[in-house]
Amino acid sequence: MYDFIRGQLVSIAFVVFILGLIFQFIQFFRLTKKKEWVYPPLEVKREKKTAGKWVAFCLASLNGTLWKTDPLITIATSVFHVFLILVPIFLLGHNILLDQSWGLSLWSLPESITDILTLVILTGVAFFLGRRLFLSRVRVITSLYDYVILLIAAAPFLTGYFAYHQWFNYDTVMTLHILAGEAMLITIPFTKLGHMLFFFLYRFLIGSEYSFAKGARAW
Amino acid sequence: MPNQEMKPVDTKQIREMLNRKKGKMKRYLSHCAHCSLCAESCFLYRAHQKDPQYMPSYKAIYSLGRLYKKRGKVDRKLLTEIKGIVWRNCVLCGRCYCPIGIHIPSMIAFARSILRSQEVYPQLDEVFSESWL
Repeated sequence: MYDFIRGQLVSIAFVVFILGLIFQFIQFFRLTKKKEWVYPPLEVKREKKTAGKWVAFCLASLNGTLWKTDPLITIATSVFHVFLILVPIFLLGHNILLDQSWGLSLWSLPESITDILTLVILTGVAFFLGRRLFLSRVRVITSLYDYVILLIAAAPFLTGYFAYHQWFNYDTVMTLHILAGEAMLITIPFTKLGHMLFFFLYRFLIGSEYSFAKGARAW
Repeated sequence: MPNQEMKPVDTKQIREMLNRKKGKMKRYLSHCAHCSLCAESCFLYRAHQKDPQYMPSYKAIYSLGRLYKKRGKVDRKLLTEIKGIVWRNCVLCGRCYCPIGIHIPSMIAFARSILRSQEVYPQLDEVFSESWL
């Protein structure tokens, strides 16, 4: 059983994760093939901006974002999401495993830093959990499923932290850590966690003032 | 107004409509992280002392979300309830902002289309007062 979790299931999880994302990506482009405009496209006046003007423009447009209405959550969610992706990729232990099995590895962060960053991620989880439990506007749209998704996202980091500090039974915690990671990979393409991919894809659908591109690819 | 309450609900038609836009709408619904960060972008939410039922995500989940959850098997009572959400609580100004990028107005507009297909819509021309509110 342990061999299966450490061996085949890892490959299965990665295959499901990658194929799932590719499937979602293709589906997205199939669904948006036909360009549709609800209103005639806005004429955007293009003027050449100097670097200073460009920076001023970017700073001014921050006022129209969540940064203005809720700076705390903007920082919390940005930090949480960036480290959630970066920490597992640049973790020393993961790269050693990668080196052992494939003979290649990525650059690694010092363990003392990843240890603190894991705590930062877990603080983020606690923050989101707190909002869900105590903020009425979040609670009103929360179901059990939301807690399960938060648990799926938190479990690899919690068990990873326990494993690194060798708390509880190391083998059990390690098995749980691997299982949690696999569960997260498998669920990403097919659940709410799909916003990992769709956060970027949706930028091409929504109005230009909210997005990177012109929002031309409308559903 | 009474004529709206008489006709039976054509659940098959609702199901067909829901299926037609399943790819897009179900993705929107399933990618909503239920984070409530769209709330502040709605002027009705701000104007109603931050009442959560005016949150864009709440309006989408409790209208179109419920229609998908029940797979179209709904009664006129629920459709009338949804009517309040998609016409009274939302004016489709299109200013709502979702950090993930979900297009909320299209979901509300689609819920309206489904309700219209069952002849559930505010008949402002039929009433003397704004009692439908």
